[in-house]
Amino acid sequence: MKSHSELTSVPLPATITGRRELDRDTSLFQLLLDDEKAAREFTFAPGQFIQLSVPAGGEAPISLASPPADDGSMELCVRRVGHVTSMLHELDVGGRLGVRGPYGRGFPVTAWQGKNILLLAGGLGIAPLRSLLYFILLHRAEFGDLTLMYGAREPSAILFKEELAELSSRRDMHLFLTVDFATDEPPEGLICHTGLLPSLLKGVNFATENTIAALCGPPALYRCAIDELQSFGFTPDSIFLSLERRMKCGVGLCCHCAVGELFCCTDGPVFRYADIREIRGAL
Amino acid sequence: MKCSTGLFGFLPRLRHVLHFRQVNGMSCNFLKDDSLQIFLDALAAFGEVHGPVLTDDGVPAFARIVSAADLNLNYRRTLIPPKKYLMPPREKVLDFSPDRGYQLPPPPDRNIVLFGLHPCDLAGIAYLDKVFTATIPDPLYLRRRNNLFTAGLSCEPDEYCFCGEMGTGDPPLFDLFMHRVTEGFLIAAGSRRGELVISGFSTHLSEHELPPPARQACDIERAILDACARGETFQDSPLWDDFADRCLSCGACSLCCPTCYCFDVREYGCLDGETAERLREWDNCLFTEHGMVAGGLNFRKKRRERFLYRYQHKYLGFGPVSSIVACVGCGRCRAVCPVEIDLIDLFREGIDEKP
Repeated sequence: MKSHSELTSVPLPATITGRRELDRDTSLFQLLLDDEKAAREFTFAPGQFIQLSVPAGGEAPISLASPPADDGSMELCVRRVGHVTSMLHELDVGGRLGVRGPYGRGFPVTAWQGKNILLLAGGLGIAPLRSLLYFILLHRAEFGDLTLMYGAREPSAILFKEELAELSSRRDMHLFLTVDFATDEPPEGLICHTGLLPSLLKGVNFATENTIAALCGPPALYRCAIDELQSFGFTPDSIFLSLERRMKCGVGLCCHCAVGELFCCTDGPVFRYADIREIRGAL
Repeated sequence: MKCSTGLFGFLPRLRHVLHFRQVNGMSCNFLKDDSLQIFLDALAAFGEVHGPVLTDDGVPAFARIVSAADLNLNYRRTLIPPKKYLMPPREKVLDFSPDRGYQLPPPPDRNIVLFGLHPCDLAGIAYLDKVFTATIPDPLYLRRRNNLFTAGLSCEPDEYCFCGEMGTGDPPLFDLFMHRVTEGFLIAAGSRRGELVISGFSTHLSEHELPPPARQACDIERAILDACARGETFQDSPLWDDFADRCLSCGACSLCCPTCYCFDVREYGCLDGETAERLREWDNCLFTEHGMVAGGLNFRKKRRERFLYRYQHKYLGFGPVSSIVACVGCGRCRAVCPVEIDLIDLFREGIDEKP
């Protein structure tokens, strides 16, 4: 019988059960814990992350990109950008991995019941918001209006194109897409604006009262999108964002990820804007 | 600055906690200097005895001792603090093999008696205990901590340090504490294990007058505690730019700090192409990579930001050690900095500004 502390420090074995290429450097990996009981008990809130181990490569914090599933399977949207993720991209179905977690605080979805939800995703920031989006769609009746605004650098960098095409035909949500730079190849089957993500807000009429905005993207997105949201009447209490930091341990020990006196790994990665706006260097 | 202050933050004072076994104002636990060797032999029953020595290079260090003659008991401070016994500079934390997955490495095979720890270093260990055993106990730290017997030793402060008293927390800070007096030591127990040592050794102990009461705190301690209690960040102090301009990012200050515990984690595949080892090693918040994420984005790109981060951690705390002052007044960082940066200047400036 393993102790609690051992369970938080020793990764559980997991296997890649599916892999889908999303763009040249980004793939969606589906994982399942090897131990059936551990897999059945594996659940999480959208916005939480795991520490993913790639043997001989090491460990990296990765957002869960799917909603919690009954069979304990999880999806991770990972770009090949560092040492661990590059080694992960060498693996395919059947590849052996390790998982610790889930860690951190996700989006407080139970407190959002009955509210309208606006999701703003920039680039790879779509990963945790995809988990949140499908969670809301699975519990659709418990929430008000649902809108996803997603911006990518260029048409080829739009992730999950097929899923977006499906989502665009749904009547129970709104979808808006934009790219920073238009190219000669428009995204197939998708209506896409040109301009930075916050520019999408300008063209839309929505009530900010009783609405929550959830953001994930690079720091530059936060700085301009938050100003824009506030100018529409969103209060700092109703804006939630997921921060990125160097998180080596995931449990508040290694001290790389502090934001003011908070830890991104244990107090975040999802923060209410009102709680971090006074902290220098948070955004 | 020649002053002696109480230990910072969370610790009550020595005089309240050092319970010398006493009769009519006399302590019964006096160990004469010439009995030190047989006392060390008795301690060796608990494990390998380590204590302050002077290395061949002339560096004060904690190392294994075979006889009392190896000890350098009049030392001021070792270069590397005793944290090396609880979280080695580089330590294997996991083994990976394809058939067994990730597993903790075998536990350490020896107990260690750490003899001659000054009060500041005992406080440093107490702080690490809070970090690594409070919320989510770290299995590797716990194993090493349970295998460590601590014997404290009173000290004489020099111009760099600002701690001279001794406190305790819960669990106790030490197993034994030795108070230096003329021609010997007065010994107090801080744990059941310590009591057992004293009772088993009582035939070699004799009566002695109790030590004089502990000394009073000095201004700088008050200034530091007050500033930390009000969450002072000195955001607008011109000293930060001065520090950042001079700092070489050598990292000596946190390397030698008894309470700096940031660690990095690395994993290396073995030459067999199948197994791997995961290591954790001391990291340093003044290094450029400390705040960098994959892709090169750095959340503390400027040295000034890294200094503020260090200050935040040391004096205001993060997470589970939030609002606990981590500085124990050992003076190592002030003594080793090659460009004489002294964070205490921030607090001293605060004193000067007062009417």
